[in-house]
Amino acid sequence: MAIIETKNLTYIYPGVANPSIKDVSIKVERGEFVLITGPSGCGKTTLCRCFNGLIPHFYQGELKGEITVVGMDPTKYHTHEMAKRVGMVFQNPENQLFALTIEKDVAFGLENLGVPREEIRKRVDWALMQTGIYDLRERSPHEVSGGQQQRVAIAAVLAMKPEIIVLDEPTSFLDPLSAEKIFEVIHELNKKLGITVVLVEHRLDLTARYADHIIIMDEGRVRFDGSPREILSTEETRLIGVGIPKATLLYQLLKKEGIKLGNSTPLSSEELAALLLEVLKSA
Amino acid sequence: MSVFDGLKFRKVSSPIHNLDPRIKFIYVCAVFVAAILFGEILPLAALFLMQIPFVLIADVPKEWLHSLRGAAFLATFIFLINIATSFFTSNYVLTTAAVENAAALTLRFIVLVEAFSVFFLTTSPDHLGLALEESRVPYEFAFAFTTAVRFVPVLAEEAHTIMDAQKARGLELEKGSFMKRIRNYIPILIPLIVSAIRRSLELAEAMESRAWGATKKRTNLYSLNLHKGDFILLAITVTVLAVAIYVRLYVPMPTLTQLIRM
Repeated sequence: MAIIETKNLTYIYPGVANPSIKDVSIKVERGEFVLITGPSGCGKTTLCRCFNGLIPHFYQGELKGEITVVGMDPTKYHTHEMAKRVGMVFQNPENQLFALTIEKDVAFGLENLGVPREEIRKRVDWALMQTGIYDLRERSPHEVSGGQQQRVAIAAVLAMKPEIIVLDEPTSFLDPLSAEKIFEVIHELNKKLGITVVLVEHRLDLTARYADHIIIMDEGRVRFDGSPREILSTEETRLIGVGIPKATLLYQLLKKEGIKLGNSTPLSSEELAALLLEVLKSA
Repeated sequence: MSVFDGLKFRKVSSPIHNLDPRIKFIYVCAVFVAAILFGEILPLAALFLMQIPFVLIADVPKEWLHSLRGAAFLATFIFLINIATSFFTSNYVLTTAAVENAAALTLRFIVLVEAFSVFFLTTSPDHLGLALEESRVPYEFAFAFTTAVRFVPVLAEEAHTIMDAQKARGLELEKGSFMKRIRNYIPILIPLIVSAIRRSLELAEAMESRAWGATKKRTNLYSLNLHKGDFILLAITVTVLAVAIYVRLYVPMPTLTQLIRM
């Protein structure tokens, strides 16, 4: 059974005329790494807010259609019920950390849930280890870099042991190197711990290689939904304004000129290099 | 941004910093009561000197002097007012006793400022928030307090950015009359307020997503435990209070003028 399933989901923010998402029907399987992308304002963030019930509880507005997340209907449960199962990481790292020390921040969700102190300690240390920021635990969040702050935010949701982690453009405030590190951490969580990951991201160059499943949205609708290699090799994807990986683009351009480099579309520079080497060696 | 530097929270460790904030607060209150009990210069001077070891152990003499300098203006004012009142009410003669009395009252004010500044200089906001929580203050208030402290540097930085942006567009902050200069700050305040509101919405969203309000019985990663030092401070507090009350009731306190005559 799918861990997230929506059927004809449509949502209108209060005081707005047009729906932000229209007739969205998607399925996310347990353990998948899903990448959601599309031009700005296409409804990616809105869709994410539906997963843990921020829509409709926090934002009000009008939600139509069906949604099931971890077997529950988020519209019928409190956000804090959903929060135990669906962890959310937002765009701006600064605005999601509240405490004066990093470890206290990671403990925030567990404290809210009333978890006993010894258990909090164990889980906080574990989450800090997983995200590689254990040594920073006594520092204040505003003293560390943006990339480290975002890792704190990930540790904070991880400590609550969610089944799904939803990340809404977690690297848009970060430099490419810190972004890459964040994606590596997310990939590890997905592979090692089997947590389902829903990642909203523009930087496909760095993320497409990790994705099992990609959803492309435009103007509130799902335009493409399927395997990354298939979808990213189509011309339409590029025309919508999706920044497809450079390696994939080069592969496409060469293909147009009649140079074929094997059958599978490359998603990363490494894959493309392997294909090129193969052709050059055989020639 | 030197004004904001003082508000940035740093984690410092010293025997005084590590004391339980609740006990420290009780101690400050005891000093407060003792200072109110006496109007003579000798016991007040004793109280003043008693705080100095704390300042030295906590290693905050610079900050402490700074806060005393801040109180100097008000202290001078209190001294002059007292002298003036006694001068005008006692047929325009100024006695040494009157001067001493004014000095004692000023010293009392300084003792109060001193005690509170030692408390705030040696208590981290984190500790203070925890103390609030453990003293059964509703968690919302304790949270509001620590969050406010957490966001001071963030907002300060933002104010700086907005100032730079507006200056780049030709805003001149330091020009014009007093009123004009105040009005110059409006183009800085409005974006700052708008962005603070937007920030608070994002914060609320993040809090909701981290199970805010899931249970009435919230737990805490940290706990306040009483250690040896706390019991020593508690003993000091009780002694100060007991001695102060005993002396007040049974020991006639000479003034400095009387002592000199003997």
